[in-house]
Amino acid sequence: MRAILIAVGNALRRDDGAAHRVLQLLGPLPNVVVRDVMQLTPEMAEDIAAAEVVVVIDADVRPGETFLRPLQAEPQARTPVGHAMRPEEVVALAENLYGFRGRAYVCHVPGRDFSEGESLTPEAEANARAAAQLLRAMLG
Amino acid sequence: MPERIVISPVTRIEGHAKVSIYVGDGGEIISAQFHVVEFRGFEKMCEGRPFHEMPGLMSRICGICPVSHVLASSKAGDAILGVGAPAAAEKQRRLINCAQVLQSHALSFFHLSAPDLLLGMDAAPETRNVFGLADQEPEMARRGIRLRQFGQRIIELLGGKRIHPAWGTPGGVLKVLTTAERDEIAAWIPESLAAVEMAISRFKSILDNFQDEIENMGDFPSLFLGTVTEQGELEFYDGVIRIVDSEGNIVADGLDPRRYSTYLGEASQEWSYMKFPYYKPLGYPGGMYRVGPLARLNVASATGTMRADRELREFKQRSQGMVCQSFYYHLARLIEMLHCVERIEELMFDPELLGQDVRVNAGQNRREGVGSCEAPRGTLFHHYHVDADGLIKKANLLIATAQNNLAINRSVEQTAQRFITFSRLSEGMLNRVEAAVRCYDPCLSCSTHAIGQMPLVIEVSNRRGQLLRRLERG
Repeated sequence: MRAILIAVGNALRRDDGAAHRVLQLLGPLPNVVVRDVMQLTPEMAEDIAAAEVVVVIDADVRPGETFLRPLQAEPQARTPVGHAMRPEEVVALAENLYGFRGRAYVCHVPGRDFSEGESLTPEAEANARAAAQLLRAMLG
Repeated sequence: MPERIVISPVTRIEGHAKVSIYVGDGGEIISAQFHVVEFRGFEKMCEGRPFHEMPGLMSRICGICPVSHVLASSKAGDAILGVGAPAAAEKQRRLINCAQVLQSHALSFFHLSAPDLLLGMDAAPETRNVFGLADQEPEMARRGIRLRQFGQRIIELLGGKRIHPAWGTPGGVLKVLTTAERDEIAAWIPESLAAVEMAISRFKSILDNFQDEIENMGDFPSLFLGTVTEQGELEFYDGVIRIVDSEGNIVADGLDPRRYSTYLGEASQEWSYMKFPYYKPLGYPGGMYRVGPLARLNVASATGTMRADRELREFKQRSQGMVCQSFYYHLARLIEMLHCVERIEELMFDPELLGQDVRVNAGQNRREGVGSCEAPRGTLFHHYHVDADGLIKKANLLIATAQNNLAINRSVEQTAQRFITFSRLSEGMLNRVEAAVRCYDPCLSCSTHAIGQMPLVIEVSNRRGQLLRRLERG
C-alpha cells in the first residue's frame, strides 16, 4: 500500500499541533509518505494523486475521542482565500487535475486548549497516541 | 438619497478588508474606500527582543512572503553588525528571493486571479475559483501548481521548510547549499520556463477581452518606485531606489534605501489600519506612488535576462513607455516570474553559490540598521534601532502593500464609478471592484502586520453613512 499522511496544524497553538505529534509517534512506515504542514494548499493535490490512500490528520476543537472518517471530495471552494483549502477541496483537486481515485480519510484528533504554547494537553496527547495506533493498524 | 455600497470581505486576497462605495442621490458613485480592518502591531512586539532573533520572528508576519521579511530583516541585522554577507550567503539570499517571488506570483496569478481572467469577471461565483479553472483549463492549473511547488521547494531546500523558514541571520545564512540540492533545483528549470511562457502567451491572447477593465480598473497617473541596479536594471535583492512619473521622467534616481525615511512619508486615516505612504517631496496625497511588478518594470530599463527582456520590450510598447493601467500588474507578474526562473538558472552555474563560508561572525557595531529588498508585492523596508545590548528599542516596517494603499483606493473608486450601477447591482459589478484590489495582490497580513485570512465586505451606504446593502464573503 502506498499512502500519504498529511498532518495539519500550528504547533505553536498547543493542541492544534496534535497531528504533528501523531507523525512523531508513528515514526517511519514502509511505503508511507508523510507531510507536516500548517495548512492544506493546492500544491498537495499532486502528491495525493500519487497515493492509493490519503489520510489528513487534523486536530479537532470538539472534545471527544480520536476517530477516522471517510472523506468525500467536494469541488466547491468555500474558503475565501486561495492558499488554504479544506481536506474535501484538496482531494477534489487531486481527482480533477491528477485523476486520483484512491481512498481518502480525515483522522480527527480532539484537543482542548488551542491557545499560544507548544505542549499538548493530556487529552490531546492521549488522542494523538490513539490516532497513531489507529493509523499503524490501518497501514501496517 | 445618496447610498453606500460595502464589499466585505474582499475574497481571494491575503487578509481582511472592506470596500465602501458611496452613492449619490441620483445613483451616481461619489467615492469609494478600501478599508483594512485588522491590526496586529508586529512592530511593537519586536521591542525588547535581540536583533539576532528578528529574521526568525519576522518570518512569522506572513505565510505567503515570509522569505522577504527574513531577507530585509537579515540585511538590517547586517547593517547593525556593520558587515556584508559572504558571497555564498549573498547568492543563496538572491536565489531564495527569486524563489519567493516565483511562488508568490504563481499563487496570485494561477490561484487567485486566473479564475477572473480565464473564466470571466461575470462567471458564476461558484465556478470562479481554482476548481473552475481546473475544469476549464486543467493544463494551466497543473502548470501553476508546479510553478508554485518549484518556488516552495527551493525555499525548503535552503530554509529547511516552505513557510516561516528561520534560515537568514545577521551576517549571512545558517546553512550551506549542497551540490545535490543545487542539482535538484536545476532539474526543475526547463519545465518552469515552459510553464511561464505558456501562461504569458495564454494571458496575452485574452487581453482583448478586457479592454474595458484595462482602461477603467486603475488607469491613472502616479509615481512608480522600485529597486534597480546601478545600471538601471531590474533588481530584487540589493540596489538603489528609482522613482519615475507616469510620463517616464525619472523623478529621483540612485536613492539609498537606507535613507528611505528622508523621502518616503507615512500618513494615516481613521478609517483604515493600513498606513498611506507617499513620496515626501510631492506631499500627501499628491506623492502617491505604486510599487510591485508593474512599478518595477516601469522603472527598470531592462531585466537583464534574455527571455524576460524580450517580454519587457513588448510590455513597454503597450503604453508608449509607461504602463499606468493596474490591470497590467498581472502581465508584469508573469514577466517577473520568467525573469526569476532565468535568474535561478544563472545561479545554478555560479560556483560561489556552493561556498562553505555562509556567515560572518561579528559583534554589534551600530545602533541602527535598515534592510530592504524587493518583495513580491513591492519594495520592503525593515528599520531597527537597538540599545547597547542589541535589544530592539524601535522597529519600523514599511511594507509593499501599504505603499500601494493610495493607488488601491484610487483603483477601487475608478472601478466603482465605471462598473457599478446601483439600481441594478450585480455580482459581476462587485467582482470587478474586488478584481481591482486583486491586481495589486495585496497582502494585508503583512501590511498591517495583521493575522489571518482576508475575506472582504462590500457595503453600500448613503452620504450620511446609513447602510443600504451589505455583501459578505468568507
